[in-house]
Amino acid sequence: MRVLAVAVLALALAGPAAAACAQPRTSLGYLEGQVMCPTCHTTLDQSDSDAARQIEAFIRTRISRCATAKQIEDELVANFGAGILAAPPKKGFDLLAWWLPIAGVVAGALLLAAGVWRWSRTRRDEPEPPASGLGADEERRLDEALARFE
Amino acid sequence: MSGRAKLAGQLLALACVAGLLALLVWRLTHQEHAPKVGSRAPSFTLRRLAGAGSVSLASLHGKPVVINFWASWCGPCKSEAADLERAWSAYRARGVVFLGVDYHDVTGDARRFVTAHGLTFQMLQDGSGDVTTGRYGVTDVPETYVIGRDGRILAHMAGPITGAPFAAEFRSALARAAA
Repeated sequence: MRVLAVAVLALALAGPAAAACAQPRTSLGYLEGQVMCPTCHTTLDQSDSDAARQIEAFIRTRISRCATAKQIEDELVANFGAGILAAPPKKGFDLLAWWLPIAGVVAGALLLAAGVWRWSRTRRDEPEPPASGLGADEERRLDEALARFE
Repeated sequence: MSGRAKLAGQLLALACVAGLLALLVWRLTHQEHAPKVGSRAPSFTLRRLAGAGSVSLASLHGKPVVINFWASWCGPCKSEAADLERAWSAYRARGVVFLGVDYHDVTGDARRFVTAHGLTFQMLQDGSGDVTTGRYGVTDVPETYVIGRDGRILAHMAGPITGAPFAAEFRSALARAAA
């Protein structure tokens, strides 16, 4: 009898293990930040619309069936188009959205560096300020006059 | 800075400003607007919700067409479904074509919606919403357009066709379209 009980318990524990996925499951929380609500144009985690709730239910079902984040995203893109993803695809024309900001930052940094370099060169090449043009006697009297104000 | 480099910098800055202005103008001129009653219905080709192939509006030229935009997550779409099916049953013999356009919807849920409500007219899918929001300016489903035999819009109901204020308008437009 005890053997039977142990066997039943082992089977009960083995059930969920058998249903486990080959890869680690993705999470609804992660995908909610990657997928847009098509009617409100925010990510799912910022939307409470009916359309968002429906997509969340779809994602939950797919996660329970061991679909990966990539598979779920691909299915959503096939259904709704590429606009359903919060980030643009990293291919074709959409690649510009990834590279343009980087190119902008690099171009800005280069311009800044060039400007600083030119400015420093200009400063170095500047002539010495002209002498005051006062004679030794005048300078001495000026110093004395200034000393009285101190 | 040499004169040539300065000129190149100024031209680049000018090109950037011109590009941004062009983007602004393009955005302003391409805003989504619902087509007006009396104007020609925007053309489209959409794939069927169930089964293979697609349907284009142009292929229905010469026939009165009712286009109903809906989604399975939309509450009012459920309430008007039975009325739409009744209207379709009443007018199909008079040559009126009913098209349901399901937008921003999960395909499985949309098909279950059609089955659950016993809808038998043609159902098309606009997952990206390009036609629904882009060409027909639909802001919230359900919305229904009645198009005459000449391809011009006879009526536009931006809400469910059940009850006020659109029920009478829908019936009247259907009768005119089928005449």
